[in-house]
Amino acid sequence: MAKDKNQKGGSWMDLALPEDFPEPYTEERAEEEEEDTEEAAKDRAVKCSPTLLRMLKAAESRWTPHFRDKAELSELGLKATEAEALKTNMKIQVSDQQEEFNKPPTKAGPRPLSHSVSQSSADSFSSVGSVSSEDECPPQEKLQKTSQGLTDFCIKNIKQAPFGRKEIDIAQQGMPALMILRKRAGGEKPLAGAKVVGCTHITAQTAVLIETLAALGAQCRWAACNIFSTQNAVAAALAEGGISVFAWKGESEDDFWWCIDRCVAADSWEPNLILDDGGDLTQWIYKKHPSLFKKLKGIVEESVTGIYRLYLLSKAGKLCVPAMNVNDSVTKQKFDNLYCCKESILDGLKRTIDVMFGGKQVVVCGYGEVGKGCCAALKGLGAVIYVTEVDPICALQACMDGLRVITLSEGIRHADMVITCTGNKNVVTREHFDRMRSGCIVCNMGHSNTEIDLASLRTRELKWHRVRPQVDHIIWPDGKRVVLLAEGRLLNLSCSTVPSFVLSVTASTQALALIELYNAPAGRYKQDVYLLPKKMDEYVASLHLPMFDAHVTELTEGQAQYLGISKHGPFKPNYYRY
Amino acid sequence: MSETAGDAKPEVKQASKEVKESENVAEKYSAMTVSKNSEINMGELSSVFSAVPTHKPVKKQIQFVEEKQEFSRFPTKTGRRSLSRSISQSSTDSYSSAASYTDSSDDETSPRDKTQVNSKGSSDFCVKNIKQAEFGRREIEIAEQDMSALISLRKRAQSEKPLAGAKIVGCTHITAQTAVLIETLVALGAQCRWTACNIYSTQNEVAAALAERGVAAFAWKGESEDDFWWCIDRCVNTEGWQPNMILDDGGDLTHWVYKKYPNVFKKIRGIVEESVTGVHRLYQLSKAGKLCVPAMNVNDSVTKQKFDNLYCCRESILDGLKRTTDVMFGGKQVVVCGYGEVGKGCSAALKALGAVVYVTEIDPICALQACMDGFRVVKLNEVIRLVDVIITCTGNKNVVTRDQLDRMKNGCIVCNMGHSNTEIDVASLRTPELTWERVRSQVDHVIWPDGKRVILLAEGRLLNLSCSTVPTFVLSITATTQALALIELYNAPEGRYKQDVYLLPKKMDEYVASLHLATFDAHLTELTDEQAKYLGLNKNGPFKPNYYRY
Repeated sequence: MAKDKNQKGGSWMDLALPEDFPEPYTEERAEEEEEDTEEAAKDRAVKCSPTLLRMLKAAESRWTPHFRDKAELSELGLKATEAEALKTNMKIQVSDQQEEFNKPPTKAGPRPLSHSVSQSSADSFSSVGSVSSEDECPPQEKLQKTSQGLTDFCIKNIKQAPFGRKEIDIAQQGMPALMILRKRAGGEKPLAGAKVVGCTHITAQTAVLIETLAALGAQCRWAACNIFSTQNAVAAALAEGGISVFAWKGESEDDFWWCIDRCVAADSWEPNLILDDGGDLTQWIYKKHPSLFKKLKGIVEESVTGIYRLYLLSKAGKLCVPAMNVNDSVTKQKFDNLYCCKESILDGLKRTIDVMFGGKQVVVCGYGEVGKGCCAALKGLGAVIYVTEVDPICALQACMDGLRVITLSEGIRHADMVITCTGNKNVVTREHFDRMRSGCIVCNMGHSNTEIDLASLRTRELKWHRVRPQVDHIIWPDGKRVVLLAEGRLLNLSCSTVPSFVLSVTASTQALALIELYNAPAGRYKQDVYLLPKKMDEYVASLHLPMFDAHVTELTEGQAQYLGISKHGPFKPNYYRY
Repeated sequence: MSETAGDAKPEVKQASKEVKESENVAEKYSAMTVSKNSEINMGELSSVFSAVPTHKPVKKQIQFVEEKQEFSRFPTKTGRRSLSRSISQSSTDSYSSAASYTDSSDDETSPRDKTQVNSKGSSDFCVKNIKQAEFGRREIEIAEQDMSALISLRKRAQSEKPLAGAKIVGCTHITAQTAVLIETLVALGAQCRWTACNIYSTQNEVAAALAERGVAAFAWKGESEDDFWWCIDRCVNTEGWQPNMILDDGGDLTHWVYKKYPNVFKKIRGIVEESVTGVHRLYQLSKAGKLCVPAMNVNDSVTKQKFDNLYCCRESILDGLKRTTDVMFGGKQVVVCGYGEVGKGCSAALKALGAVVYVTEIDPICALQACMDGFRVVKLNEVIRLVDVIITCTGNKNVVTRDQLDRMKNGCIVCNMGHSNTEIDVASLRTPELTWERVRSQVDHVIWPDGKRVILLAEGRLLNLSCSTVPTFVLSITATTQALALIELYNAPEGRYKQDVYLLPKKMDEYVASLHLATFDAHLTELTDEQAKYLGLNKNGPFKPNYYRY
């Protein structure tokens, strides 16, 4: 452990590591590594592979027979959802989003909804993005150079790099998992030779991911997946660090596609991995540079929309490389929904209206992961909670957790707060609004802005008063007021922040998915959409445990044998529900 | 329930192509009840159950290596074999209040040698004493109060008799709760022959009451091993009656039929198995290519799993500890080994009473869950000197070793909520220098030479089986799941189920849950047509994709 302290960095260095960690990665070794040719480094990655790859192999040995099973099963037309590295034969439930893959989506507004919750909400806390630049000429026309002489990038202002570096350093503090990953795998460079082209939000947190990929041996070119979310200073810091970044805050739609094209169409550089958030990059390559797919080892996609698009492609038989769905990995799902919403519901309500929860009657619509999180948090503060649910299994869970299951119409007259988290539309209708009592707070934690029927409130007899940002009072002719938050959009995106820790889970999952795809032996992944193997999912979780100073117990040989599992995992069968 | 019952609309606009041909069981049932049409033929019935799009073979990884007994080997019947059974059923042993009626029986002749006749003149049964039928009936009526789900299933489906023509041979615990299940099956049209899956667990008067009502029951409390197989044989081997369904708990019946009457399988439409052991044996058969009928694993259905593990253990950990040691939990330092469903339940219950809870875990995902739920994740060795209570729920062996027992503080309570009796290394405590003192039933003080005492509960066996009761509500979930699995298998169209082990379709799982909501006076919201379309779901479910984790 003492050796760790050689590295510069923050508090994460002091964290205890589980005992089976590999030899810590030291700077001396890093320098040796850099002198090696790429080829040699790659060889080493494959051959010596002390830990990360040992783990990969453990996964592999368990994985192959399963895969055979799966192939047989799918021939039988049966759903093989239980095979490892399972295919996501997911039923996408968002029919409104059924845009054609061929249609470029419009870039007119911020598009957070089609992106993963955790990343997209970076908009709301882009402290660096606010650095005002007096320079009004478009970045495309400026010639900029890094201190190393690199010009292959396009950002707002390279001079902001030191600010951006500071932001990245702060983000590193909150994302020790990636730093541990760098240390654990750094010696072996599992991504040596990988050429990753990425399209995600460009924030300090993503920058940590990108630099981790670079530290693991990958060459990266990056564009933004959202025209508003880029933190200019961070982009500058990345460019200064030698990464070809094409992004600035406030791109036009033309700029957006221009940036993506510049990322992909570089002379003598062909990507072999894609990291995408929203599917725009994949779509662009598919449309404009289909020849690139020949060299591609895989696509890692994290947003629901992007996965849906991949799924459509796969169904049409047009997906010609393996794709990894990281959105549905256990760890990420739990953090994006259960844990994140558990905290942001309180945060969002407190920030916007300073409500006190004790004894308040709250109706939570929907008892999925988000609903479970909201209820747990509110119950902790002494609120009286009612749940509405359509699925009898979830309804029974709510009953057993001590919550009353009612229909919204029954509870609406008494409710002080209505929180929707169903993923459905028109859950709260005008009729419900009319029967609410004065002062009732209505907000949405679920999906999109469809859950509350806002259109029905835009009538002449109702007066809208904006009392604070994100808070509207809607006043009925008789003086009754209903408090609507964030105009029915997602409360957790609009009125609270996403902790770095959650972003860290997402970023580590993406990094491991890239490593898995890049190092998988030929034939493990076919041209289909896969879930992250459980082994990797467990590895993501284990990377985050040092932050809690949590000490995982190790199985003894005898115990492992008794349970019939490997000492290093995977520990649970695929159908395990956590 | 009233909501589903009220929904008798014949035409529901199908939203998604995938579920286009599916019909809702619940809706169909209620439609039937409303129409009071008792003459519905089998063709219509099978269309009721053609609904279910989610069925898949269970490729489960069985984790109990030591249980890999050969299917051809007879398990011994010498001890209480409750461990290999499903938790919920087997624990009925411990509270068979009715069993006391029969213990005083002066009659010492074996039931096998007695000829008994019920009031209708049938003698096709073998129970301890048919005269106890009245007592048994009372027990069954009490159980019916708490098993409203099965009663409402009877009501909803009675008119269409979805099991008409089914000949079910069953081997489960014979208790008042199972009797409610059996009589429900009969009410739905099935003919039943029943035997006990455990030589001790039978409630004699309940068996008598079943026999009195015309169910051929072969079971009494305290069978010998010989009796056990004889009873099973009498169930299966009867003139002019061949079973077409098997309901098994532990796999003994399936095993017997497989060994002795393999040609019976030609007529069998399916096996419903509820225990871990039985499922494991079926899985081995299936792997060896010897499973010649479809089998349904009801043990792993969502509803049953949650109730057997999370909800049941959440209550029984407190109950068990209070009953045995009257310990007060506030401020006590407790270490819970394992944070699976059982561990989650135990930790939540203890936290609610103000205990300081530590968790040990091997799986990083579960460990992270524990962290996020506010529990310290430690290694057992780090806290062993501090803790007042140690609870194991890992399913593993030797989680608490002699070395750790040596380092515990005086008065530490050690108990097992997990699996079998392997978690605590009790054998290592049977050494001459340690004194064992039985202070109450199920409570041992183990005394070290220096006077330190460690309190061991239930000799390291399962605390929830030995020292607390299982609520009827949990048994009701199991029984309802079994009944629906039988209905599903019996009515499935040819070819839906191959010769493999399947999980209960999600639709049925949701139906089990919905039958139990009435108990809580819970009112389920119904999707509007427009909402269903938006979500791409059928209004009546299934509501979640298969990979959903609940």
